Amino acid sequence: MTATEKVTKDLTGIQSADIEAALDPAEADGIYRDSRECAALALFKGGYGLLLSPPTPRPKKG
Amino acid sequence: MEQSGTSSLLQGAVQDLASSVVSALRSGDHARAAAPERAADGEAEGLALAAVRVLGADAMLPSTLLSTPPLPDELAVFRAAVEAYPPGADAAPTVLWSHWAMRHTLWRLDPGHADGPHPEPDAAWLEGAPWQLLTHQLAVLAALAVPGEDCAVARAAQHRPVDVARGFVRAVRRRDWRQAAGAGRWLTLLEGVPQTLGLDNGLDFVELMGGQDPLVALQVSAARLTRTGVFV
Repeated sequence: MTATEKVTKDLTGIQSADIEAALDPAEADGIYRDSRECAALALFKGGYGLLLSPPTPRPKKG
Repeated sequence: MEQSGTSSLLQGAVQDLASSVVSALRSGDHARAAAPERAADGEAEGLALAAVRVLGADAMLPSTLLSTPPLPDELAVFRAAVEAYPPGADAAPTVLWSHWAMRHTLWRLDPGHADGPHPEPDAAWLEGAPWQLLTHQLAVLAALAVPGEDCAVARAAQHRPVDVARGFVRAVRRRDWRQAAGAGRWLTLLEGVPQTLGLDNGLDFVELMGGQDPLVALQVSAARLTRTGVFV
């Protein structure tokens, strides 16, 4: 632990592990649009054809 | 998931710093982005230093993109963050690359007072990575998406523009605005991005939906500056 890091840790409680966790975040959970937002997408400049395309098919089970 | 007090404190400081960088990028007042106001107490100074380490090379983005020399105290804070938080022995690739990017930036902006160039960390984890993982990791390392800079991570992105475009769309559809903004920033640097993606409109949309987050706004601002070539 460097001297600066030790001072920071003592004063703020922030450790290297906190920083490394912030630098290696897991992917956020997906939140999917509702129909109202889809409508807003369609209206907003009309330029989001690809973003509004239907989702790719899911793999069939079995 | 609930965040610890320390984690929230750090994230707040990172967001404040990102806001400063965005302001500097928009106004051209580049010089004070990474220099925290002289902290009245050690705690604030320590927190600011940790925030610089987390924001990484993007803390100096105004100097990088606008090609204007940073202030000495700005460089001093940046250097202190690099030295204070070296990667641990078992650090993740993104941590290693983030630190490398900071050292590289320091060497580029202040070659007289920094050793370098530095050997790159290993980038094998990106080879053959599924496009979803590739996009996520690239978005985390969006600070490496700088015009004219070459490194193994940038080359991995350059080899897979369609996959990054797919990842961008996926991130938008998942409302993961930070990932979408980071991927969008990379896409402004890549050749072979499908025209059907509508990147400019996509960036507008990401900003509209997620731009209140300073980390999203920073990536979108960087993408726009890259797109318009203002850094040249």
